[in-house]
Amino acid sequence: MAQALAVETHGLTKRYSTGVLAVNQLDLRVRTGEVYGFLGPNGAGKTTTLRLLSGLLHPTSGTAIVAGAAPGSPASLSRMGAMVETPAFYPYLSGRDNLRVVARYASVPSSRIEPVLKLVDLTDRARHKFKTYSTGMKQRLGVAAALLKGPDLLILDEPTSGLDPQGTMEMRALIKELKQGGRTVLLSSHLLNEVELTCDRVGVIAKGKLVAEGTVDELRARSGGRTLRIRATPLEQAQRLLESLLPEPVRVIDGSLILNVDPAQAASINRRLVSEGIDVSELRVDEQSLEDVFLQLTETPTLPSPASGGGEQR
Amino acid sequence: MIASFRAETLKSRKRWANWILFGILMLTLLLFGYILSYVILKHPPRNFESPVPASVLIREVFPENLLANVLSPTSTIGAAIMIILGGLSTASEFGWLTVQTILIQKPGRAAVLLGKLANLAVITLLVSVVALGSAALTSYLLVTIDGSSSSWPPVSVLVKGFGALWLELAVWTAFGMFLGIAFRSTAAAIGGGLTYLFVLEALVGQLLRETAGIKEILRFLPGVNASAVNASFRLTFRSPNAGTQLVDATRGWITLMVYLVLFTILAIVIFQRRDVGGS
Repeated sequence: MAQALAVETHGLTKRYSTGVLAVNQLDLRVRTGEVYGFLGPNGAGKTTTLRLLSGLLHPTSGTAIVAGAAPGSPASLSRMGAMVETPAFYPYLSGRDNLRVVARYASVPSSRIEPVLKLVDLTDRARHKFKTYSTGMKQRLGVAAALLKGPDLLILDEPTSGLDPQGTMEMRALIKELKQGGRTVLLSSHLLNEVELTCDRVGVIAKGKLVAEGTVDELRARSGGRTLRIRATPLEQAQRLLESLLPEPVRVIDGSLILNVDPAQAASINRRLVSEGIDVSELRVDEQSLEDVFLQLTETPTLPSPASGGGEQR
Repeated sequence: MIASFRAETLKSRKRWANWILFGILMLTLLLFGYILSYVILKHPPRNFESPVPASVLIREVFPENLLANVLSPTSTIGAAIMIILGGLSTASEFGWLTVQTILIQKPGRAAVLLGKLANLAVITLLVSVVALGSAALTSYLLVTIDGSSSSWPPVSVLVKGFGALWLELAVWTAFGMFLGIAFRSTAAAIGGGLTYLFVLEALVGQLLRETAGIKEILRFLPGVNASAVNASFRLTFRSPNAGTQLVDATRGWITLMVYLVLFTILAIVIFQRRDVGGS
């Protein structure tokens, strides 16, 4: 049985008046009740996508359904909470008064304010003006505002941005807590560790296009799973030789050559390098980290189709 | 819209800038328009020269001239303050990015802006009530202190005068609000509005007032039409500063109402269609 979708987009495209194509034919599906990580490098189109889903931007083409209705419509907004880019509040109002303003706009009873302040641990500072808040406090107030409506869908843009390690851990714990409450969470990030720790599924966006989608394990498997790491001297000569021998691209990371090849080829590759007068000081098989997968995905917009796995290729 | 209106009232009430603007308006009206005028005209300097004697001019601050005296600064300092108020109410939302916080709550864009409009309409109404009420009280106190006699304008004229005051303040507020949405910058909205008011309408308008062609254009400007409405509430004596109006009062009323509707519709259309955020 198909799982209900909290967010669904078809060919969603946004080209700004400056001509920049920020989001390109995006087909996104976020399932109800999951924590979905929207991953991509800076400028990949994450925030633009979240703005489109929140109704802040009008799409150039394509459609989207968010919480069962068109983005930006009262029906959609009443079921979603969002914090897009930076938490923006009135500097002359206290944290509590800012939430009062948000509650009034959202037609939410003011009795909801204290529980959300407590949830994000801001009760003690709620009477202070927003302009005196630290980055972490601003971020937590943003999450509190997003939670005021008791939304089914929560959209968080870089929720740990600017937080110290303690704040980051607390935010992760909060996201997990929200998921346990049955909410759908769509969070964007460029922090791989954060996504790996909190998300059920991940969508990777690069240059406005969704280049991969699936669980972290599926993405690892799709990208070859394991790589061969070679430290050789001279490096450039080794890279040229391997590129002439292998169909796969050879990447250089931290002074090592990274090859997406069957580890069984390690011995023959080693022999060939040595026969060409290249010194090999290290040769080992690496399990791919999400970072490797991410770099591979965002550097190469189109990937070969996966042989297996639940994630779909775009 | 009601939800948005309730949120706007809370924001406006807690914003110091609004109270400061209100204070400046009241100070200008009561101190310069009444108290200082009374003191100077009661004890005119030796070199005081005027085609109308000070003993007659002083009646400007008495109840019989309440409407003319209150409406007089509406086209200048009143207009400037309301442009700033309107500009701040919308442009600040873009400056602080709070516009996106608002727009991801429940109401749609039109409801958000209509709530803001309703709030500004109530503010201008309250400003009009307080301005007219405090001017009336000050006027009564001054005529009592002076020991002179004066009569209030008829109720129908008072109501009409109050309507004119509210309409003019509302037009300038809507102008500021529209500029705030169009420019998305507080500095540009306020700077643009004040430049228009004091340079284009006041300075250039006065200098080129009798120039053919320009005169026709001036007839359509809000400040010129507001002046025509104000001039219909005459002083009880012939003021040496009274000039001829480019349009009659009826046309002034209609033009101001058209401007109020126009600025409102333009603000809503731009706000509805425009992207929030991004490049």
